[in-house]
Parts: sequence; C-alpha cells; structure tokens
Amino acid sequence: MSFTTRGTAPAFRPRLALRRLFSSTFLLGCFIAICVGVVLLGALVIEVVVDGGSVPFAPPSAASLPDGMGWLAWAFPIAVLTPFLLPRLAHRRSELAPPAFAALCVLSALPAAIFGHLIYVGFEDAYYVKTGGHIFDLLSEATAWQTFRIVLVGLLLPGGLLAVAWRGARRLRSPSLVWPAVILAAWGFYLFLEPGFLSSPPSQSPDRIGIFPALVGTLYMMTITAAAAFPLGIGAAIYLEEYARRNWFSRFIQVNIANLAGVPSIVYGLLGLQLFVRVLEFDRSVLAGALTMALLVMPIIIVSAQESLRAVPPSMREAAYAVGATRWQVIRHHVLPYAFGGMLTGNILAMSRAIGETAPLIAMGALTFIAFLPDTPTDDFTVLPIQIFNWVTRPQSAFHEVAASTILILLLILLLMNSAAIIMRHRSRTEW
Amino acid sequence: MSQQPLAPAALDDAASQRSQVASDAVGAVIEAPRPGQTIEAVHLDPTRSAVRHELPEDVELALALNNVSVFYGAFQAVDRISLQIPRNRVTALIGPSGCGKSTLLRCLNRMNDLIPSARVEGHIRFGELDLLSPKIDAVDVRRRIGMVFQKPNPFPKSIYENVAFGARINGYSGDMDRLVEDALRRAALWDEVRDDLGKSGLALSGGQQQRLCIARAIAVQPEVILMDEPASALDPVATLKIEDLMRELAEDYTIVVVTHNMQQAGRVSDFTAFLLAGEERTGRLVEFGPTTEIFTNPTDPRTEDYITGRYG
Repeated sequence: MSFTTRGTAPAFRPRLALRRLFSSTFLLGCFIAICVGVVLLGALVIEVVVDGGSVPFAPPSAASLPDGMGWLAWAFPIAVLTPFLLPRLAHRRSELAPPAFAALCVLSALPAAIFGHLIYVGFEDAYYVKTGGHIFDLLSEATAWQTFRIVLVGLLLPGGLLAVAWRGARRLRSPSLVWPAVILAAWGFYLFLEPGFLSSPPSQSPDRIGIFPALVGTLYMMTITAAAAFPLGIGAAIYLEEYARRNWFSRFIQVNIANLAGVPSIVYGLLGLQLFVRVLEFDRSVLAGALTMALLVMPIIIVSAQESLRAVPPSMREAAYAVGATRWQVIRHHVLPYAFGGMLTGNILAMSRAIGETAPLIAMGALTFIAFLPDTPTDDFTVLPIQIFNWVTRPQSAFHEVAASTILILLLILLLMNSAAIIMRHRSRTEW
Repeated sequence: MSQQPLAPAALDDAASQRSQVASDAVGAVIEAPRPGQTIEAVHLDPTRSAVRHELPEDVELALALNNVSVFYGAFQAVDRISLQIPRNRVTALIGPSGCGKSTLLRCLNRMNDLIPSARVEGHIRFGELDLLSPKIDAVDVRRRIGMVFQKPNPFPKSIYENVAFGARINGYSGDMDRLVEDALRRAALWDEVRDDLGKSGLALSGGQQQRLCIARAIAVQPEVILMDEPASALDPVATLKIEDLMRELAEDYTIVVVTHNMQQAGRVSDFTAFLLAGEERTGRLVEFGPTTEIFTNPTDPRTEDYITGRYG
C-alpha cells in the first residue's frame, strides 16, 4: 500500500525546489543522464587524457577472469538480463504458479548463457575449447583465488537469478532493470581492468600499478565522514524542523545553512587545514580529511533531511499527538520512520559529493604517494581523486592511461551510490 | 427522539419525516423556494446572543466551556462560546462551513497548541481541571480526551501496532493482546481483521480505517472522544456503521462530534450546539440544547432557518 495513492501530501506546503528535485521521474531522468554521462566521460577521457587512445574499447578482454573462464565475459551479462527481460516478453498475465514461472526464467537463462558462450567462442577461441579441457579440470588446477572466484560466481549467479525471478513472478510484474544495469556496468568495468589493478599498491612502473590504497583510503574516509556527518546533520534538521521556534534566529540559521551549501570546497579545505591539521594536531590524517568532508557535506544533509521531514503528512503527526504522544514520541515513532528513506537518499547524495571532492584534501596537504594502507584514523592516506590528480600530473602517458582507468572506477562508485539513492527513495515511497 | 440506529432502508423515511416535522413547526410561513426565486430574509446575524435550553436534571457534565475564544494570529475564529457537554452522551456541533466547529473541537484536547499562531482564551473545565491553564500538560489531556479525524489516518503500521501504539507510549503494562482485541471489538472491527492483525492499517477500506482510528482512540482508555466529521469521507453504509458505533460508545464515553450533516446530528446526538459565523468568519454559538428540541422546536430563528434548509 503506498502513501502516495492516499494523497496525503500536504496541500498547503509550498512545493520547494529540492522536493521537486526528488520526484521519481526527475530522478529516473538523472539516472539515465548519469549513465549517458559516464559513457561520454569515458570516451572523453580516452580521447583527451590518453593520447592516441590505447585503452582497449572493444571487445572486452577477459584477462581479468581466471584462465578458461573467459566465456563468462559474454555469458554472464546474458544470463543476468534474461530473467529480467523474459517476464517482459512472456509476461505478466502468466497463468503459471510463481515457482514454475521462476524455474522457467532460470532454465531459459541457461541456454541463453550457452548461446552467449558460443558467440564468445566465435570471437575468440575459448581456453578450454583450445585445450580440450573441462570446467571441472579447471577447478582442480586453479589457485585458491581463482577457486574462490569460480565458486562465488557459481553460487551467487544462480541464487541471485532465482531470487530475482521469484520476486518478479510473485509480483506478476517485470522486475526493475536498474539492478541488472548496475551489475552489468560493474561487470563491464571489471573486464576492462588488468588483473590486480584493484588489489595492488601504486608503483613507479605503470605495468604493476594498482589503486588499492586509494580505494581503501576512500572507503575509510567515507565511513568516518558518514559517522560524523549523519548524526549531526540529521540532528540539526530535526531540531530546526521540529523544535526550533520560527523566529529571526532560526531563519538566520536557515539562510546560513543554505549559503554554506554553496561555499567553494577549497574554503572548507583551508578551514580543515587550520582547525583539524594544525590546531587539533590531527596532521594530514584520515580523521582530519574525513572531518573536513563532514563539514563540507553537512549543509546538504541538513537541507535534504529537512525536506523529508517537511514531507511527513500533518495528519500523521496529529494522529500520534491525539493518542497522547509527546513530541519526541511522535518524532521517534512516526516522523523519523516516514522520513527515513528521504534522509538516506540525501545522505547518499551528500556522500557521493564527498567522494569526488579533491580540492579540500589537496589544501590540507594530503597529496602524497602512499604505497601502504592506513591502519588507524591518524595515519596518512590517499583517496581516488588525489591518486588521479597525482597520475595525471606525471609526464609519462602510461600513467595517464592508469588515471583514465581510475577515473572510470571512481565514476562507477558514484554511479552505484546514486543508483542506491534512487532505489531507496523509490522503495521508501512504495513500501512502509 | 429515540436514538436507535436505523437500518439503511429506513433512512430516507426518517429523514423525510423529520423534515416534515421541521416544516410543520415552521408552519406555512416558509414555502419551498421555486426555481429562480431568490431566497430572502434568512436570519444570519451571528452577533445576537445565544439561546441555551435547559439541560435535563439527570445529566452530569463532562466538560464545561466558559467564554472560549480562539485566535489565529490577529484573526478571531471563535468568539466567547459557553456551553456544557454532558457526560456519556453524544453532543453534536453543527453549523455551516467555516463557523469554527472544528476549531472549537480542537480546543477541547489542546490540539490547537500544535499551531504556532493559535491562541485560546477562556476556560474549559474538565473535572477539577481547567484545560486551558498553562499548568496543564497537553500530552496528558490528549490521552484523556481522544480524537478521531475527518480523514481516516491510520499509522502506516500493522493493525495491531495502530491500536497498541497509544497504550504502549503511555506506559500500559497489562496484556497488550487483550487490550488490542478489546479495542477492536468495541470499534466493531474485530471480526473483520482478527485473522490479519499484522496487515497494514492502510490496506483496509475507508470505513474500516476510520473504525481502526476509533479503536486506536479507545485503546488509551480516554474519558472523552472528539470526532471531527468522522464520516464525511465515507460512503453511506460505512457512515451508518460509524453512527451505530457512536451510539454504542456513548454508554461508556462522552462523545463530541462535529458534523455538517444535519441528518447525522439528528440521528446520533443527544445534544446539539448550533454555531454560525458572519462576514468576518468569527464563529459564535447560536443555540444549544437537547437535539429533539433544536430540531423540532428551535427557539432562535437563525437555527430554524438552518434546520429547515433555507441555507447551508
């Protein structure tokens, strides 16, 4: 049962710009725009940053797959797409019972996968066809890491397909294509990568180069940023929206928050440099970077959380007050659960801004060559955008190629986060 | 007038009889206006003093309003209304739209506190307490004086949680399952939902949702239940069920109901207060008394005009 069908949206609330921004149609448009943008940017990077375009564009090489598993490069996408497309073709008025329908979906995925494999064999001789080997021989010869990957794909793929097909069949409607699109995008990127690119440290030699410390540093910094910014930001929004009296002071704060959202990030970097790096002596650590980022995204979090609080229908608050709830009980039991989806969306969007910010960290002095992982929050660190900046400034074109790949990884992470925001937003509207 | 619930088939009859009675009382002075004829000389002046009929000897009072005025900023919505609300009876507030009925109702459990610009003057006695005194905790008032709203507004939670929520936050420590069942039984909803208490409250039909809201109000064991046009968003059958329910609940609770459906007021209420607002939209009490007297023998000409359907 959805809220929207009950038409509980308060009629007298002005439709603020940010609220319109979150309408699902608009977000869908954004999603498509982001997808197109990623492709265009990728092309742009290859055209401009990398002279001559030596990054392979097509067909994907299967170098990052275990030996003999190259056929998965084609089979996997087809297998993922089939159960999503099949209900669209075969359709919603199916008389089949859900289990039978799900089984049909999965079964139909198998020939599709084999077909995909044959296509692939046509492109490039598959390893196991050449050697006359079999997939089970592979398992016995594979290294531990290869075995792990084979098992992972072997278990997750059928399990995931079954789950998706079951859900689609249960609801008697086609499942959303968002997840397979995201999975396929990730898969495509993965195929582009040299083995070890994600799991090696940076190196002076572009052949053995990797982004592992930057990737870990990014995740590390984001975790601390989120831990610092979410509670403060959401707390501030609850205070401003639910408790603060409407007087000149709260309006003053409100205007300031809106303005802070537009302050250039380099200014936050300088603030972080003075406050966290020097006065509080955190040095150029993960902690200093994360807190600076938290300051940077806090206004976005506050404003979006306020919008979602404002979207809670007044009739629901009244209902809770009318049974003798205190203000906090109303907020805790009704307002927050209702507004949670919107708040989460705002937070994720704020995080995806923070993940790409470079200027504040450079201003803080975090631009360093880091070949190890940060162990504690007070260690030196590097993040993806800084790593990109570092490599792009080098004269050798080999580093530019590596930078291009890193940019694609960063964009992929952004894409994943924004899709998660869209999906959560959608879910918070349609379910309770 | 006896207040036995009516079967749907009897509704039209009863209504026509009542209007017959009403027009008899007015006599031959008022004729039904012919098409194209302008209606003139309806009595609308709200500033004349109110008529208060004697209340029967045997009623106890639940609430006593004394010169209650409500302001929204500079705008005065209700002007010095005084009336008594008898215990364990149904009292209806009727009047045309915008005459301050709902505003007055929302004073009774301090709901107007939630509107920053609202200001209430006067006194409302509730037992030993003056409800409008700043010393009184509004949260406690709302527990003792429950409310049902115009549009059914169940929480987006399970049916069980909808009913249990109020009791839980008020520290109820008894058997919650029994409380929920009891409240749902009293709200005449138990038989329809007993097998899926885990279902969303929003999955019910409109009438069921409204009865769920009534169960939710009952579950915190209030003394008074305020109903703000509880049936205006419902179809006739659901309306009838709610009206039956109001009659049954009146045995244990004091009920104050706002309605602009006069037939409904006639069917369910024991006492009726008629409010009217003038050009400046400030509501004033016109007439208050037993429903039978208001409907069959209104003293004030303004009430008479409204009851007989000359306007509104």
